[in-house]
Amino acid sequence: MKSSYLRAGAALACAVALTACGGSDGQLQLGGQFVGVTKTGLVLTNNGGSDKAITPTSTGSGNWAFDNLISTDDRYNVEFKSKPSNVEDCVIENPSGRAGYHVYTVYVTCTLKRHALSGSVSNLKGELQLANGSDNVIVPAGATTFNLATVPEDSPYGVTILRQPANQTCTVSNGTGTVGPNAVTNVAITCTP
Amino acid sequence: MKSSLIRPALALALAAGLAGCGGSDKAEFVVKGTISGIVYPGAVLTTNGMDLPIAPPAKAGDPVSFAFPNKLEYGDVYNVVFKAEPDNQFCSTPSQAIPNFNDTAGRLAEINITYACGIDAYQIGGKVSGLTADGLVLANGSTGGTVAVAKPAAGVTTPIDFGFEAFVPYDSSYGVTVLTQPTGQFCTVANGTGIMKAATVSNIAVTCGPVVN
Repeated sequence: MKSSYLRAGAALACAVALTACGGSDGQLQLGGQFVGVTKTGLVLTNNGGSDKAITPTSTGSGNWAFDNLISTDDRYNVEFKSKPSNVEDCVIENPSGRAGYHVYTVYVTCTLKRHALSGSVSNLKGELQLANGSDNVIVPAGATTFNLATVPEDSPYGVTILRQPANQTCTVSNGTGTVGPNAVTNVAITCTP
Repeated sequence: MKSSLIRPALALALAAGLAGCGGSDKAEFVVKGTISGIVYPGAVLTTNGMDLPIAPPAKAGDPVSFAFPNKLEYGDVYNVVFKAEPDNQFCSTPSQAIPNFNDTAGRLAEINITYACGIDAYQIGGKVSGLTADGLVLANGSTGGTVAVAKPAAGVTTPIDFGFEAFVPYDSSYGVTVLTQPTGQFCTVANGTGIMKAATVSNIAVTCGPVVN
């Protein structure tokens, strides 16, 4: 009888000790800041585990930290498990080290894929100015195509007529949408008379 | 005899010592610094009764260095502020820097004031009329953000107001389009595009009606 209590006690102590090794009961945060994350799909790991999915923000930037806390003197090594589909690539600054205190210096920077925004122009007899928000371009008389600045994948675009040509009125079709995985080439400007 | 020689020597030494405190080699401090981000003319800095006009940099994007003509003496308090900001700009201590425009000459070996200027920005918005369904999303290009406009609550009549969260800087273009049409409706935008003047834009008119096939 006595020995069975002892055995159970030993097993319990062992279990407690093992839990302590799991890393979930530390006191220190491991994280930092991120930039360029506008879509889900970015998952970070620490020493190959503790998966952390980064929630995108409207500006693409924010702070992040693993849900699992770490302990003083723990070695950490942050790596990518996956990246969002709309990035050219992502890099991690200060990915590894040994925790002395909370670690807020793991910086993740993603560069978004960019795509051309262009289209056709018909019957333009004067100078026209097009805008996609803060970006704008002057289209000379006689032009049959236009190019605005490249736009990041998954961001909206909206082409408007900032300045009409003299004595003509131009309209835009297919002028607005969300940039997909390819260049936008179907914006059509038609001028009359 | 001896003592009479010592006395004038002492007096001379004392005089020399006093001269050292006040005369030609006293500590003087130039009130100077740098300003980043200046684009437009019109800025005037002021401190200790001096006004100093500041012109934009010769090469766009470069910081502008300044130095007030009259030097300050040790212990003089200076407070370098903008009597006038550059046209269409606002200036302040750069973020993540400690304000250093108001201090005492001599506390640091050199005075080196830092300011950063940004371009004034204004909101764009307007009214939506005829909206009876959810789902309308307006966009200002690719970087100007989006705004979702929900259908008005019961009892609220259109037009209803909308505004973009992201402000548009002076002299920047903007262009508002319908990114997503409301369910079963079709909306068009009037006065949606222009070049930002120094005032809030509130005349963008979005008109919604049934889809015409």
